[in-house]
Amino acid sequence: MLQVIRSRRGVPRPQRTHSSLRRLGAAQGGGLWVALILLSLYFSWSTGSFFTQSNLLVVLEQVSVVGMVAVPGAMLLVSGNLDLSVGSVAGLSAAMFGEFDKIFGWPMLLSFAGALLVGAAWGTMNGVLVSYLGFSPVIVTLGGYAGAAGLAQTITSDTTRSGFGALFGQLGNGTLAGIPVPGVIFLVVFLAGTFVWYETRTGRHLIAIGANKEAATALGVASRRLPCVIYIISGTAAALGGLIVTSQLDGASVQIGVGLELQVLTAILLGGVAFTGGRGSLWGTLAGILFIGVLDDGLILINVGPYVADLAVGAALVVAAALDVLYQRLERMPVQESAETDAAADGTGFIAAAEPVVAQRLAGPSDAGDGREAGA
Amino acid sequence: MTGPANRTGPRALEVTEITKRYGPVVALRGVSLALDYGEVLGLVGDNGAGKSTLISIISGVARPDSGEIRVDGRPWAEAGARTTREAGIETVFQNLALVPTLSIVENMYLGRELYGPGPIATTLHRIDKRRMRREVEQAFERLGLQMPAVTSKAGSLSGGQRQAVAVARAVLWGSRVVIMDEPAAALGVQQTEAVLGLITKLRREGIGTILVSHNMDHVLKVADRVAVLRLGRKIADLDMRERPVTGMELVGLITGATPGMS
Repeated sequence: MLQVIRSRRGVPRPQRTHSSLRRLGAAQGGGLWVALILLSLYFSWSTGSFFTQSNLLVVLEQVSVVGMVAVPGAMLLVSGNLDLSVGSVAGLSAAMFGEFDKIFGWPMLLSFAGALLVGAAWGTMNGVLVSYLGFSPVIVTLGGYAGAAGLAQTITSDTTRSGFGALFGQLGNGTLAGIPVPGVIFLVVFLAGTFVWYETRTGRHLIAIGANKEAATALGVASRRLPCVIYIISGTAAALGGLIVTSQLDGASVQIGVGLELQVLTAILLGGVAFTGGRGSLWGTLAGILFIGVLDDGLILINVGPYVADLAVGAALVVAAALDVLYQRLERMPVQESAETDAAADGTGFIAAAEPVVAQRLAGPSDAGDGREAGA
Repeated sequence: MTGPANRTGPRALEVTEITKRYGPVVALRGVSLALDYGEVLGLVGDNGAGKSTLISIISGVARPDSGEIRVDGRPWAEAGARTTREAGIETVFQNLALVPTLSIVENMYLGRELYGPGPIATTLHRIDKRRMRREVEQAFERLGLQMPAVTSKAGSLSGGQRQAVAVARAVLWGSRVVIMDEPAAALGVQQTEAVLGLITKLRREGIGTILVSHNMDHVLKVADRVAVLRLGRKIADLDMRERPVTGMELVGLITGATPGMS
């Protein structure tokens, strides 16, 4: 039997056709990158001023608030969660900053920290209700969408505070090495996000929770704590976004952040994160963020109204939904039927009589051998 | 049981008087069970007898209402899925516990990812993808597993291949106890033989194995002992090294035709 097994050994490669089809499907985010480049080339060709440094920096600045909220947002969605409260939380944090600074008379930096804490606190509430108590993320954060806005209006009596000084103005209007500060913040958040998503266990765990929460929990993944932490980050990012807009306007208004949750969700879904969780990429989310930013910017450059941009984003979303269906079909295709039928035919495809299996195990607890001999 | 006189060291696993209720339903009523190193314990019982509940308690997924678990003689108070795995207790769940959108490697290492290479990457908790891929490839090679590329998504695998990944994961990480809940459910005859052969090998390596199966032939073939659960109670614990046990006898105990001990 061993001989048969040995002769059949070797790792077969997946069939070429299927794997390239799969890659095409996986390129849902990639397809968006192509669309993004084509769109940019079109705007460049029709205006001549698209690929200028100043315009690209405008695009970066325009997308930065949506972008920094979309990074934790994509992590939530891929883990089967959702935060619809980000827009209202941004408004609440902005309003609270105004209250802290102008009514409480706190120093600016303390007000700033306080406003961030408001966002973190709201995120904590979302996280505890959803992750630990098992409430529906849609319902909880939809409640937050209404509740945070209502709270902000109640506290401020719908009054806009302004005059926060030059230092605070730097947050939204300043530049760092020629790059707008909001853009710098977004790039830092995004790079940190890609590290977490692609290079740490957290990224895998989020996908695992979104795809098969039961399995993830059974394997020791922190399926409650991890999404809860991301909710807190999401709330904090929303607060930061609200403060950036406050700084740009030099006005703390409850209107800040209105519609942010839908812009964020649109960018994430365009980028190919599955609405049901379990699948998606952060690079795709970046493409989604930039796609919307470039579309808005370019249509203004060629003097087409903002409604056309909405129309185009809507159409792109439907295309993304179609690609999602295609990808799921591809995913269900078996990798390599031929090798599998071979294996089934002679049984060697499964675990066979290999030599000391467990002695050569990859690694185990160092004290694993304690008393091992006892019972045998 | 091996007979207390023959044993010297602590047992791999010992559960005492475990009780678990789900609302008005009592799933387990004071079940005690012991497993020695290098012993194969068959766990049988009808649907609803409490097998799965007992397995999920031992694997740390569920918590008992009362009772004690000892691992290697030490009380196991902090029972959770992660700590249980860290203690070298691995489970092949009936549903396999695979994530379809993650690769074979990512599934094999889910919850115990390796950091590195180097101290900086380790400090940053950067995972060592290359090393994990290589180790899984080598492990499959050693196990004689024919698998597609280890970077394939688990969702693209056939039923048998998925089962193979789940079994391989438990066998590679389980350094004390391996629990298999219907490990041969999706397998053909020869693949099943391979799994049973693997259990024999685990015994030789000194690992305690719990095999949950509806198939009496499988249990009788590899087990040293058989525990029978009925309606949340352990009604028999038969040592097949002391006297042979027949399938009819087990079926009688499972169905209640034979009253058993209590």
